[in-house]
Amino acid sequence: MSLIDEDEALIAAALKGSAYAWEKLVKRYESKIYNYGMRLTGNTADAMDLMQEVFLGVYRNLHRFRGDAKFSSWIFRIAHNKAIDMNRRKRLMTASTRVIDGEESDVLDSISSASKYEPDACIGEQQENGQVLKMLSQLPMEQRLIVELKVYQSQTFEEIADIQDISVNTAKTRFYTALKKLKVVSEENHALS
Amino acid sequence: MPCPKTSHLLQEYFSDDLAPLAEEELEKHLAQCADCNIELEALLTSQISLQQWQDLQAPHWDRGLELFKREHRSQSHQIGFWNRWQWLPTAASFAMLAIMVFGVSIASSESGFSISFGGDDEIMESVQELFDQLQQTQRREMTDLVARVASRQDSNNLQLLQAVVDQTQQATAENMDRVYAYFEQQRLIDLQDMRVGYQQLVDSDYETIRSLEQLAQFVSYESEVR
Repeated sequence: MSLIDEDEALIAAALKGSAYAWEKLVKRYESKIYNYGMRLTGNTADAMDLMQEVFLGVYRNLHRFRGDAKFSSWIFRIAHNKAIDMNRRKRLMTASTRVIDGEESDVLDSISSASKYEPDACIGEQQENGQVLKMLSQLPMEQRLIVELKVYQSQTFEEIADIQDISVNTAKTRFYTALKKLKVVSEENHALS
Repeated sequence: MPCPKTSHLLQEYFSDDLAPLAEEELEKHLAQCADCNIELEALLTSQISLQQWQDLQAPHWDRGLELFKREHRSQSHQIGFWNRWQWLPTAASFAMLAIMVFGVSIASSESGFSISFGGDDEIMESVQELFDQLQQTQRREMTDLVARVASRQDSNNLQLLQAVVDQTQQATAENMDRVYAYFEQQRLIDLQDMRVGYQQLVDSDYETIRSLEQLAQFVSYESEVR
């Protein structure tokens, strides 16, 4: 039985009320979603929140999964939407806090600069991950999402364009721009060290 | 001067489905363009750096099992025997209605069961007779009811009229008394006014006579002096 068939069998069993099947399905994807959250948010608390929101979304919409696409694509689409929602919420919260504190007078300014990406200190223990998070922190959310889908999820530009509701060319351009930006950051770091 | 093709070519380099011919062209260009080569190396290094990510283990959590069990338990409670067969009374009602409306009759014989729609003529005739009788009875009852309602309505109207007349009469008598009292009062006031007027007239006449007397006295006094 292939992984896709297994997914579908687990979904069918979960829909009939099998807690065992549900747990197995979650176990199969939780690490992927958690790592996805880590790379996008840069901290464990937000990654955990995102993972829980994603699986709640999966649970609520499992009966709508028709099997037209792979379950993995479906779940990452949910994850993508939840990540965007979370980012929007955080930006709005930060913006309103700043306005209340009187730090910023223009809400739009604060929104654009508010998407703070602060890698956890504990991540730094794993040197490679710390380095990756530092690099990703230099990218705006839209480019970070493209890098995530292309580099870590190995999606095609067509799939990325579909998920993000943009054209294939825009997806390609954003990916190229992101790599270029990372190159500049990397060069600056080398120059400083 | 940097190569003007770099941006376009490198975007194509990272495409998913580069045509073999385009790939060949790209390779050729990269082999002879140092700018594009350096840029590509740097971009690939960035991509490789990103790929250094070590997957982390997700922290322990309940995997939504509590929610899953709670919701499925409540759903399984809902799907009990009665819930599963709750369509039965509705279906039975429809079946009875169909039998009544279409005159369905089920007969069993040696060859098995037979279902017929519309029933046989005798049954239909007796049903028709029953229906006619029911209609006549209903019509009779309706006529009686209308007559009773009409008579009750008449007596009600009469009572109402009587009450209106009584009230009007009483009101008229009261009004006449009021008019009489008013006229009497006016008469007394007029009498009073006339008395006062007469007194004033008398007083005025008396004043005139006194003035005339005084004049006469004065005239006689004047003539005496002369």
